[in-house]
Amino acid sequence: MEPNIILSVKDLEVKFSLRGKTLNAIRGVSLDLFEGESLAIVGESGSGKSVFVKTFMGLLDVNGTITGGSILYNGQDLAKFKTEKEWLTVRGREIAMVLQDPMTSLNPLKTIGYQICEAIELHQNLHGPAAKETAIQILEDVGISDPERRMKQYPHEFSGGMRQRVVIAIAVACRPKILICDEPTTALDVTIQAQILSLLKQLKDKYHLTTVYITHDLGVVAGVADRVAVMYAGDIVEIGTCEEVFYSPRHPYTWALLSSLPQLGTKGEELFSIPGTPPNLFAEIRGDAFAPRNPYALKIDYVKRPPYFTVSPTHKARTWLLDPRAPKVDPPEVIGKLRKGGFGSV
Amino acid sequence: MLKYTAKRLLQSLVTLFIIATIVFSLMRLMPIEGYFQNFDKLDQNQIQAALKSMGLLDPLPVQLKNFYIQILHGDFGKSLIFRPNVPCLEIIGDKAPVSILMGLASIAIALVLGLPLGIAMARGKSKFWDKFGTAFIVFITAVPAAVYYLLIQLYCTDWFGVPILFSTDDPSSWILPTVSLALPNIAYYAMWLRRYMVDELNKDYIKLARAKGVSSKNIMKNHVFRNAFVPMVQYLPTSILYTVAGSIYIESLYSVPGMGGLLVNVIQRQDNNMVQALVLIYSAVGIVGLLLGDLLMRAMDPRISFTKEGGAR
Repeated sequence: MEPNIILSVKDLEVKFSLRGKTLNAIRGVSLDLFEGESLAIVGESGSGKSVFVKTFMGLLDVNGTITGGSILYNGQDLAKFKTEKEWLTVRGREIAMVLQDPMTSLNPLKTIGYQICEAIELHQNLHGPAAKETAIQILEDVGISDPERRMKQYPHEFSGGMRQRVVIAIAVACRPKILICDEPTTALDVTIQAQILSLLKQLKDKYHLTTVYITHDLGVVAGVADRVAVMYAGDIVEIGTCEEVFYSPRHPYTWALLSSLPQLGTKGEELFSIPGTPPNLFAEIRGDAFAPRNPYALKIDYVKRPPYFTVSPTHKARTWLLDPRAPKVDPPEVIGKLRKGGFGSV
Repeated sequence: MLKYTAKRLLQSLVTLFIIATIVFSLMRLMPIEGYFQNFDKLDQNQIQAALKSMGLLDPLPVQLKNFYIQILHGDFGKSLIFRPNVPCLEIIGDKAPVSILMGLASIAIALVLGLPLGIAMARGKSKFWDKFGTAFIVFITAVPAAVYYLLIQLYCTDWFGVPILFSTDDPSSWILPTVSLALPNIAYYAMWLRRYMVDELNKDYIKLARAKGVSSKNIMKNHVFRNAFVPMVQYLPTSILYTVAGSIYIESLYSVPGMGGLLVNVIQRQDNNMVQALVLIYSAVGIVGLLLGDLLMRAMDPRISFTKEGGAR
C-alpha cells in the first residue's frame, strides 16, 4: 500500500539577510513526508536542518525568508503564508515541536499545569476542569508520576529529563498530526536519552503521529527512524530508509559522516574526521557543495550541481558518482564494517 | 512565605537599629551650636546647664539608651531652630501630605505612560515607538533634571496658562510640578520594562509558546510582560517611596510646601534634632522600599521560595 503524503516540500529555498549579506540557508530542498512515518534529518551544525523544519511552522527568525518553492500541507501552500493568523491554524494544531533544551524551553514563572492547559485550551476546545483533566492524562502518558500534584509545580522543581517529558506533553497536548523533535535528547544525559526516545516512540503510536527528528546523533537515528535524510550545506544529499542509508550509502558525504562514528571495540585507531570546513553559504555554490572536501570528487562536481539519482524506489542520492558514466568508486572500507558492527549506540 | 517574610522583616529591623545608632552617634559629633537658638548670647554656664537639661552630658551609652526609648515611643524630639519647641514629627507631618499626594499622582502618571511606552518599545524593536522612546530616555538621563524642569516651568506656564507657582487650592497649579516629577520615572520604567521584555522575548520558552500556537498578543501578555515585570517589582517600591518623599528641585522651583527641601534646610540651619529625625525617616523609607521590593518579588517568582538559607537576593 502506498502511504499517503502528509507534507510535501518542493524546491524550497530559504535566505537570511545578515549584515547586508545574503545567506543561502536552504538551497532547493524537496522532501515528501509520509503519514505515520518517522523521518530523521541528520547533518552537521549549520547544515540547515533546523531552519528547514522551522519553515513548516513559520518560525523562521525575522531576517529569514522563503524565497522559492512550496510546502504543501492539507492542500495549502505553507510557503505562501504571511500573517500570523494563517500560521496559527497550523502551529501546534497541525504541527508541533519539541525543542532541544528542556532547561530553558519552559516558562519558569508558570506552573506546568498552566503551560499544558494553554495548549489544550487552544487546540482541543476544552476549558477549565476538563482541560485540567486532559492535562493530567497527558502527563501520565509521558510518564510523570503523581501528575495531579506535579501540575501545580513550577519547572524548577523538575529535573532535566522530567522537563523534557513536560515539553513533550505540551507538544502532544496540541494533538498535532506531525511532531517535530529538534534534537530532543542533545541536552540530556545518555540514560535519559534512551528513555525519552522510547517515550517518543510510544506516543507516536498512541497518538498516530508523524514524527520528524532532527539530530546529529546517528545512534538516535538508528533507534527511532524509518527513513533518514542527510543534509549538507542546505541541501538533502541523500535520503532513504534507515537500512539503505546506513548499510549501502551512496553519497560521499554520507560515507564521511558514517566513517566518523567511533567504533566500539577498536583500539589505537585515530577517529576519522572530515577534512576541511563546510562551504560558505554567503557565496554562491557552484556544482556539488561537498566537492572541495570530497576525496572522490570528479571534475564535473566543481561545475554542475548533481541531480538526484534513484538507487531504489525509496533511496536517492545527489552525487555524480551514481551517473552511469562515472568511474566506479568503492565506499571506504569502514562502511562495510558498519554492516557487521551495527548501530546500537554512538 | 511567612518564614521568608519574618526573616526579611527581622533583617530590616536590625538594619534600622544599626542606622539609628550610627545617626545618633554622628549627631553627637556635630557642633553644640545646633542645640541652641541663640548660642552667641549665652555664656558658658547657661550652655552647660541647657546641655545638662537635655541629657547631652550623660555618658554616651546612657544617652543612646534614652534615645532608643524615645524613638520606640515615637518621639523624635523637638525642633530647636527651624521652628523651636515644635515636635519634629509635627513639622514633618505638616509638610508630608503635599509631597505624598504629588508623588502618588506623579507615580500614577509614570506607570500609566511608562509601562505602555516600554511595551510598545519592546514590541516594535527599532520601529517608531522604540526610536521615540530611546530619544526620550536618552534626553531624560543625559540632561540634568534641573534643566528640563526649568524649561518646563519657563515655557509651559505660558503655553498652557497655568500658574507658575504652586498653591494647594488651585488644581491647575498641580499639573506642571506633578508632570515634571513623573518624567524621570516614565523614562526609567519604560527603559527597564523594554530591556527586560526584550530579554524575555529571546528566551527559548517563547519559541515553545509560539510553536504551540499561542498568538503574539497572548505571548506578550501572559508570558513576556508577566516575566519581565518580576525584576521590575523589586525596585518599584523604592522608586515610589522616594518619589513620595518629595523632590528638592521641583518643590523649590514651584515653592511647593512639601518636605523635599526640608532636610537641606535644617542641615543648613544646624537644627540637630530635625536632622536626626529626617535622616532616620529617610533611611526607614529606603529600607521599607527594599523590603517591599523583595517581598513583592518573592510573591511573584516561585523560584525564590526554594533558595536555601541566606539565599534571598
